[in-house]
Amino acid sequence: MPELHLTKDVKASFPPRFQRPSWLGTALFALFLGFFLWSLAGAGMSIGDLVRGLPNMGTIAGEMFPPATDRAGPIMEAILVTFQMALVGTVIGVVLSIPMALLAGRNTSPHPLVRHVTRSIISFLRTVPDLAWALFFVVSVGLGPFAGTLTIIVDTIGFCGRFFAEAMEEVDPGPSEALDSIGTSPLDRIAVVQIPGALPSMINTSLFSLEKAVRSSVVLGLVGAGGIGAELAVSMEMFRYDQAAYIILMIFILVYAVEHLSSRLREGLMHQSK
Amino acid sequence: MTSLASPLLQQAVVSDQSTASSLQVQGLTKRFHGTTAPVFKNVCFNIYKGQSVALIGANGAGKSTLLRCCVRLIEPDEGNILLSGETLSSKKGRELKKARNRVGFVFQKHCLVPRLSALTNVLHGNLAHRSGPRNWSQCWARQVDRDRALHYLDQVGLADLWHKRCDQLSGGQAQRVAIARALMQEPSILFADEPTASLDPKSGQVIMELFAKLSRAQNLTLFFVSHHVEHALHYADRIIGLRDSELQLDCASGTETTVSLRGFYA
Repeated sequence: MPELHLTKDVKASFPPRFQRPSWLGTALFALFLGFFLWSLAGAGMSIGDLVRGLPNMGTIAGEMFPPATDRAGPIMEAILVTFQMALVGTVIGVVLSIPMALLAGRNTSPHPLVRHVTRSIISFLRTVPDLAWALFFVVSVGLGPFAGTLTIIVDTIGFCGRFFAEAMEEVDPGPSEALDSIGTSPLDRIAVVQIPGALPSMINTSLFSLEKAVRSSVVLGLVGAGGIGAELAVSMEMFRYDQAAYIILMIFILVYAVEHLSSRLREGLMHQSK
Repeated sequence: MTSLASPLLQQAVVSDQSTASSLQVQGLTKRFHGTTAPVFKNVCFNIYKGQSVALIGANGAGKSTLLRCCVRLIEPDEGNILLSGETLSSKKGRELKKARNRVGFVFQKHCLVPRLSALTNVLHGNLAHRSGPRNWSQCWARQVDRDRALHYLDQVGLADLWHKRCDQLSGGQAQRVAIARALMQEPSILFADEPTASLDPKSGQVIMELFAKLSRAQNLTLFFVSHHVEHALHYADRIIGLRDSELQLDCASGTETTVSLRGFYA
């Protein structure tokens, strides 16, 4: 190893291996730690309850096997409705998200005020939980899959609207500048630069949104918004854990199939050119 | 032009002084916010129809800014610009866009839409004149426009790659597609901002030869920025140069040599 020679000046100012944390940083970390420990109590974390609950878990799990297929027909029908709700809700939500994203994007919005208002609407749609939207729509339009579909539409706009806008903002500005230099209209530039540029990310987000919608449409049934959730709630309430196991298995197959298909579709669509 | 002090400065050479001006730049000055020194000041020159003019200068001399100011992609602080005799400085909105559609622009990076095919990217040159979905994609384009787009791709030697996505083309091929897009626009003047800067020397030469061939064949006015003194000497009729915020060089390319022009960068 060659001998290293350092000048005296450099040695004197050699940086320490670790930096002393600031008072503010230390205080904030202590505050976080205190709040976390307090939250453990607030969250009802109890090892004793967990241990006491283990035999019950074992009993329920035991009763789940073998899964009961006596109501296979109605369950399959409910699974199909669940998927249809998710598909229709996602497609309509994605279509409505595109204009919302164009109004919310920094480089596509016609005016900063329009952008801020649209962003606020999208944030509101996203931050209100889907279960709250489902309760709202069940009361508004009645029990059934329509309420669930409306919930998924709203949830999809909140999710896709934000990510579509961000995808359009991240598009390389070069092609847009090139077309601007020859006097093209903003609408043309959005159609030929922003949308094709953001398309891979938009496809990803849409397919992820479909997966998310399938999962959430299962839960929506619990509050009467249609789909397989209602069947699951009834089975659990009637202590038919074997039937519940069959429903859970069907939900797993549906979610897995949608995830698998969406990733295959994603790969196929990415490699197409126009 | 009283501000021109360099010994390299000569009388601007115009092959035919009676030819109409394609671009007239009068007293153009640009300062960026927060800086006191101008990027360039009181720049004046004329480019005549069919002429090929190279703009040279060191890094940061303001060449690209000057080129962009000529079509008001960057707003100049002072001065006047006339494009084919029409004042550009006073135009706004739709009028400015209409004036710009006669100017083709080729950038250092090709600035193509990566996911779209070469043919669709060339077709986008048509958007300068005709807006709407029929010029968004070759799938929906009028047959006459598809034929024209393919013709320009053929002129740059890439007709057989019309279906290729632009992110699958090499740097040189992509730059040729960008030239075809500019030609599709049927411009009266073609601006090129260091079109060979991101290419290897051989591809760069191919691109410059293509520019020279096409501008001669179509009597197209060409105004290009270049770092390559050899390109300026070989492919331009006339060379202008920015140094110390001023236009200090304006000469016919035939009167200079590589060595004398390199002195301009000193």
